[in-house]
Amino acid sequence: MDPGPIATYLPTLVRYAGVAIGLVVLMIIVYRVQIALGVNREAATGRALVVPWVVGFLIFNVFTIGASLYLSFTEYNLFKAPEWVGTANYEQLFSLSLAPLESPDQRSSDALPRRYDEIIRVQTASGGFVLGAKEEGFWRAIKLTLPYAFLSVPLGLAGALAVALLLNQHVRYLGFWRVLYYMPAILPAVATALLWRWIFSPNGLLNSAFAPLYALVNIPRPNWFFDPALAMPAFIIISLWGVFGANSVILLAGLKGIPAELYEAAAIDGAGEWSKFRHVTIPMLSPALFYNLVTSTIGALQVFEVAAFIQTPDSVGTFLNWLIYREAFDLRHMGLASAMAWIMLLIILALTALIFRSSEAWVFYQGAREEKA
Amino acid sequence: MTTTTSGTSAVWSAHGAGRGYLVRQGIVYGLLLLGAALVLIPFLWMISTSLKTEEQLFTGQVNFIPDPAVPGNYLEVWTKLNSIKPGMTFSRIIGNTLFITFLAMFGEILSASIVAYGFARFRWRGRNVLFAIMLSTVMIPGIITRVPAFLIWKQLGLLDTYDPMTWPSLFAWGPLYVFLMRQFYLTVPREIEEAAILDGANVAQIYWYVMLPLIRPILLAIAVLSFQGNWNNFQSPLIYLTTPEKYPLALAMRFFDQSLSKEAPQWQYMMAMATMMATPVLIIYFLAQKQFLDGINIGAVKG
Repeated sequence: MDPGPIATYLPTLVRYAGVAIGLVVLMIIVYRVQIALGVNREAATGRALVVPWVVGFLIFNVFTIGASLYLSFTEYNLFKAPEWVGTANYEQLFSLSLAPLESPDQRSSDALPRRYDEIIRVQTASGGFVLGAKEEGFWRAIKLTLPYAFLSVPLGLAGALAVALLLNQHVRYLGFWRVLYYMPAILPAVATALLWRWIFSPNGLLNSAFAPLYALVNIPRPNWFFDPALAMPAFIIISLWGVFGANSVILLAGLKGIPAELYEAAAIDGAGEWSKFRHVTIPMLSPALFYNLVTSTIGALQVFEVAAFIQTPDSVGTFLNWLIYREAFDLRHMGLASAMAWIMLLIILALTALIFRSSEAWVFYQGAREEKA
Repeated sequence: MTTTTSGTSAVWSAHGAGRGYLVRQGIVYGLLLLGAALVLIPFLWMISTSLKTEEQLFTGQVNFIPDPAVPGNYLEVWTKLNSIKPGMTFSRIIGNTLFITFLAMFGEILSASIVAYGFARFRWRGRNVLFAIMLSTVMIPGIITRVPAFLIWKQLGLLDTYDPMTWPSLFAWGPLYVFLMRQFYLTVPREIEEAAILDGANVAQIYWYVMLPLIRPILLAIAVLSFQGNWNNFQSPLIYLTTPEKYPLALAMRFFDQSLSKEAPQWQYMMAMATMMATPVLIIYFLAQKQFLDGINIGAVKG
């Protein structure tokens, strides 16, 4: 029921003010208690000032993540109390079965045990094998999301680096170029997802523009998001449009920060363009590249709006984040969805840890002292 | 742009302005223009489509200039939407979006600037550990907190209200903003604060009258980021709001998409709505572009 605008806005506004006042009071209490305990005023003030974040962190991160871990071991549909099921959700997700194919044209469903569906099928002349899972949707989502991140992030970063190097070639109207290249990143993801669905649609811009080419090689107009082989390139093109310009602006700032003396010194040592790039530009830029790599990877694994707005067959375009959302809020499988979310968290942590570990080998930090001198 | 003259200019003067240099610059500009075209074409296609009639949509040919142009699509889309849901008027949906955006923006900027102040300008035990923990929260995927958060809001009886999208911003929920502001606070000389203390100012006064004006450039950059983030927010309204009249623009677009264009996608209306949604964000971006781009760069490069 819609109570009308005023009755919708006003209560929220009142609670907003109440929470704000409550936080100020809490900050004052935290300060007073510390002073009473003999803490010096500087430390007491500093701690009081970060109270809003600490409270939010405890409620919206620590509590929710803990609760999510608990729920992942339960079955819960919002109507009945959560029921403890142990590791059943995880077992369900990791129920995999590898079966041989007796002949190349045997149906996967005949080779696999009951309630298992195909995720990967490898065919050879004499047979092959098929990998199946009970939660085949989950594995399909992983099979889509991880390669998407592994392809779109490096491509985006390489493109961004190329643009940043171009912009660093002493170009005129740099401000104009920066604004232009960053623009796609500022646009609402919802709007760009719709826009790209339209561009890639069977009669959309892309197919119309390439129509002569299709005629030349004699293929029908592709239906991008309905073809498993074409959906991935389409999704990657969308992601590149969204980020590479933005990343290039950030990398450009890094390039501008490289002292000219380093290039002069390299030139005196007889370094060519490539050598300068390899031994001056890349090491000096590596912290910015590293930052970009971490943030883009985390972002790519969580792609959501694109999946929400671009209709595809479930088996083609369901990204992990969207799958978890649907599992939780459409199907009300809160327990199973929580288990999926935990696996997603572990994937992100593992990948971030991997990037951090590798960074010791390739990221070059100037000593902080050296920088200040 | 002041930055054009710094950095690599010395390297270039060493090469001189010979013929090779000209050829090279030609290639550079050629590639930049190509990149610009790739950025602009989809964007122009969105605007072009929003001005077309239905017959112009599916000609199978590439045509960027609508003939005739029908700006009436921008009104028609709301008439269409009202015909499905009378309460979803233009003013209501925009009002909803602005209400959510401004409350969240205000909370984010205010709380992040206070928390960053505490992290940057005061020495206390546990500070660096807590700051590291805060930064590491960027790795937490939002979806993992969604189910329990949904249960909290359900318990509080606040589902289908704007509360989940607005006042949690007062808890400095964006670690990136705290980080960016802290970088800026660190550049303020200690003497300025000490002078204010000698004048008898308290912490609140120093924060409000001394520190905030000094970090104004980053406040503006964060205001743009925050406006963009909240105006475009899609996931939380999708989870929490169920009454169509309460929808912000992003959800209204999804509602429209799902209810009207099932059979034949009416792309001219969808693109009109997408353009409308993008316009305020773009205006603010263009107005504040210098401070915005410089601001986000400081965080990235120094981080």
